[in-house]
Amino acid sequence: MSVITRSIATADREARYLSAGELDAIRDYFESAPKRLRIAATLTANEQLIVERGSQRFWERCPITPSNSGNPTYRASCLRDQSWYIRLITYALAVGDIDPIEKTGIKGAREMYLSLGIPLRNLVECMRCLKEVALDLLSPDEAIAVAPYFDYLIQGLMP
Amino acid sequence: MNAHASGGSPVTWPQLYHTTPTAILARAEQHDRWFKHSELNALSNFFRSGAKRIEIALTLAQAAKAIVSAGAERIFFGGSPMAFLESPPNRDQLPGYTALPQQRSTLLQERLNLQLPKSGNPVGWLTGFVRAQLLENRDPLPSGFRPIHVARYGAVRMKRSMRDLDWFLRYITYAILADHPSILSANVRGLRGVIPEDVTEATVVAIKDMRWKALSYFKQDAEATAIIQAYFDALVTEYLVEKPPIRLRQGVSNDQQGLQLPESYALSATPRPKFVLKPGLSVAEQQEAIQAAYRQVFERNITRAYGWQLHELESKVRSGEISTKEFIRQLGKSRLYRKEFYEPFVISRVIELAVCHFLGRGLSSIEEFRDYFDLISKGGLSALIDALVDSQEYSDYFGEETVPYLRGLGQEAQECRNWGPQLDLFRFNTITRRVPQFITLFGDYQQPLPNQHSYGLTNDPLEIQFGAIFPHSDQQHTERPAPLSKDHQRILIQVGTENGSGNVAPQRIIKFDRLALKNGFNGSRSHQGASLSLSKHSSTAVIQAAYRQVFGRDVFAGQQLITAEMKLKSGEITMREFVRLLAKSREFRRLYWDSLYITKAIEYIHRRLLGRPTHGRQEMGHYYDLCARKGFYALIDELMDSDEYLDVFGEDTVPYERYITPRGYALRSRNSLSNQQLSQQATTPMNPENLLFGNGNAWASMMQVARNGQFQSLSDKATSQAMGSQSSLAMNRSVDAQLPDMKTQLQRTVENSQPLNAETPERLEQVVTES
Repeated sequence: MSVITRSIATADREARYLSAGELDAIRDYFESAPKRLRIAATLTANEQLIVERGSQRFWERCPITPSNSGNPTYRASCLRDQSWYIRLITYALAVGDIDPIEKTGIKGAREMYLSLGIPLRNLVECMRCLKEVALDLLSPDEAIAVAPYFDYLIQGLMP
Repeated sequence: MNAHASGGSPVTWPQLYHTTPTAILARAEQHDRWFKHSELNALSNFFRSGAKRIEIALTLAQAAKAIVSAGAERIFFGGSPMAFLESPPNRDQLPGYTALPQQRSTLLQERLNLQLPKSGNPVGWLTGFVRAQLLENRDPLPSGFRPIHVARYGAVRMKRSMRDLDWFLRYITYAILADHPSILSANVRGLRGVIPEDVTEATVVAIKDMRWKALSYFKQDAEATAIIQAYFDALVTEYLVEKPPIRLRQGVSNDQQGLQLPESYALSATPRPKFVLKPGLSVAEQQEAIQAAYRQVFERNITRAYGWQLHELESKVRSGEISTKEFIRQLGKSRLYRKEFYEPFVISRVIELAVCHFLGRGLSSIEEFRDYFDLISKGGLSALIDALVDSQEYSDYFGEETVPYLRGLGQEAQECRNWGPQLDLFRFNTITRRVPQFITLFGDYQQPLPNQHSYGLTNDPLEIQFGAIFPHSDQQHTERPAPLSKDHQRILIQVGTENGSGNVAPQRIIKFDRLALKNGFNGSRSHQGASLSLSKHSSTAVIQAAYRQVFGRDVFAGQQLITAEMKLKSGEITMREFVRLLAKSREFRRLYWDSLYITKAIEYIHRRLLGRPTHGRQEMGHYYDLCARKGFYALIDELMDSDEYLDVFGEDTVPYERYITPRGYALRSRNSLSNQQLSQQATTPMNPENLLFGNGNAWASMMQVARNGQFQSLSDKATSQAMGSQSSLAMNRSVDAQLPDMKTQLQRTVENSQPLNAETPERLEQVVTES
């Protein structure tokens, strides 16, 4: 729920126009948006690269993991999921809110990976690798802006 | 159908309306893809134009009164319509609220102008009206339009009209901020059926005048003018649309509950595009629809995960050789579907998943399940798929060309009895759930209601957690709360009756006999010090009994209410008043009110004062209400003044426990077996030992038995050997540790069996020490 949706919902519940404070919050949100969109565009453009480098780094750190066991299906699924999580981050950046990550990336994800027999520790490590690789592509300023989204994801998947 | 179970009610946050970002996001999520370049551009435009839209919203909000009044003045005459607009309550003191800055002086002038024709003088109004018509470039009035007379229209309707006009403007500001008309269409469409039809025309006139007034603040600003114009036009268009019909769900079972979906729900929900696959589409569109079919049937994009594609099938459906329906059927019969959704699951779950994949919903009833179960047990998976795809429901919803989709929230009315499983079924992680959900729920429907407090789950083995849910990692409490309604009452067991006659055993009734006590006092004065007699009805004993009942224990020395005791003894107050004073004491409040959550507090106080547990929700609801409005002391008064108290205990009897719950009864009884059963029902054992032997106690006692048996056999062996010969013994090493015990046992055995042989003990001693 982005700041716009939230403010409108609050104001509507109290049957009033948006207050000055809420409008200021929305203005801040608008002003911070171009940077977030720029990051989202960068991530979108470099998806392949991030996944490739991220998975390399991940397999260096955790050599014993299902996706590195030589089974092509596991390998492909792992790459797919990495790309999917990067995509969730771009979704979240676009609306400026962690809601998309929370809804489809974290809730129930832990149970899903456990039932598929994937060690959560490795999964978290994999997300960390993705974060590092993605931050390397961005300017320091942008990296600071996007890091909390990755951190939220990592926290949520932590075993 | 009477539901005896509930599938739980997961919290959902349905989308109420869209903003530009959420709409773009929803589309990208639906198509399972990254943002397109065009979408990123749209987002960036949205954010860039944000400042302008905030400015518009701010101006409109500040000028709200003037704008609403402009609309109202146009359609009402003969009074001041603005007098009927109730201003919202003052919110300046609320946290987080900052009032809008006041509009500057130009508006003041306008307000003064606007107030001029409000004199109620028809001539004045007429001149103002004519001037307004002539001077400003307003929309012309429709022919035959007649303004409404304020007095004739009535105060109630006037208030409503003014409120609605203000409401329209408010939603326009919201929609402008959100940059999406969905908030207008979700809320305004169909309003024509709510606001009386005879004022439809007048409403439209008023809205158009509000638009004129709103535009007058942005005369130099083309961008703002375009935005405002667009949203007011959208509002008028939506308002004029006929009230849309309610969407009905086509169902399978006969007993369906409230399956209507109001149009506004469907409008505001996340749009789900329906993919249609037919010849004549472009390659990209076909590809998109095929991907959608994969996502529906396999719950994911299989080409990416498995590098797996059904080339032959795809080319057939592309060329139009087979229809979408056949394509879906073949997907269902493919090896991949069998491997992913048939082999890993039990049959019940296979059916649930298949119904979700091919009909886009969860199972509806157990009858339906039985039919499918019959099919799959006779004909296997392919028979089930054929039945689903050939069903009437499939052709009603999807026909030959549409790709099946999930008929979830906002898409269709949901059955409330299967609410929880149905929502779970549509989640992305549903394949990880191995336990069949619907069939377990249908099974629960057949069970009687569980024996539990009317609030809370069944994880209350000790009967001290009324209404509370304390999930514990060791306890597997059910996710599904029992659907206790307000009419359900607990069955309670009467305690302390006389041989099952239904009458209370006389020894339980302790009466405070005022007359006898007076005599007792006289008597005690004559025999000094004898007043401390603890015979049953002496004042000391009665008071002690009252303390015990109310506090649940004897009070400590400093905690007695001496004054109340004195008053009772002197006959100034009755026993009932005494109990009331005890219950209102600080100690009682500290014990049973201050530190407890409300349900537990009420439950305890009720048991203490009325001597029985609460029956159910109706009773509890009444007490909640009382506690919330009037607090602790009112609750005590309510209980003490209740008819039940007066009937049962009257003025003189000390309250006693009359009823307990079945579990409470079992907990107290010595029959540990039923006790164990109850505690097992309450908490599913997680300990493997418990799984094997019922519970820990049984395990421990069994070990004890085994150990004793071992000792016994060992001592027997030793005795016989000692008795038989003096040959050295090759005794097991493990026996060494038990030697001292064995010695005493041996001695005892030997003494008992051969009391005459005096040498034996010494010999035995030797044997034992040697070994």
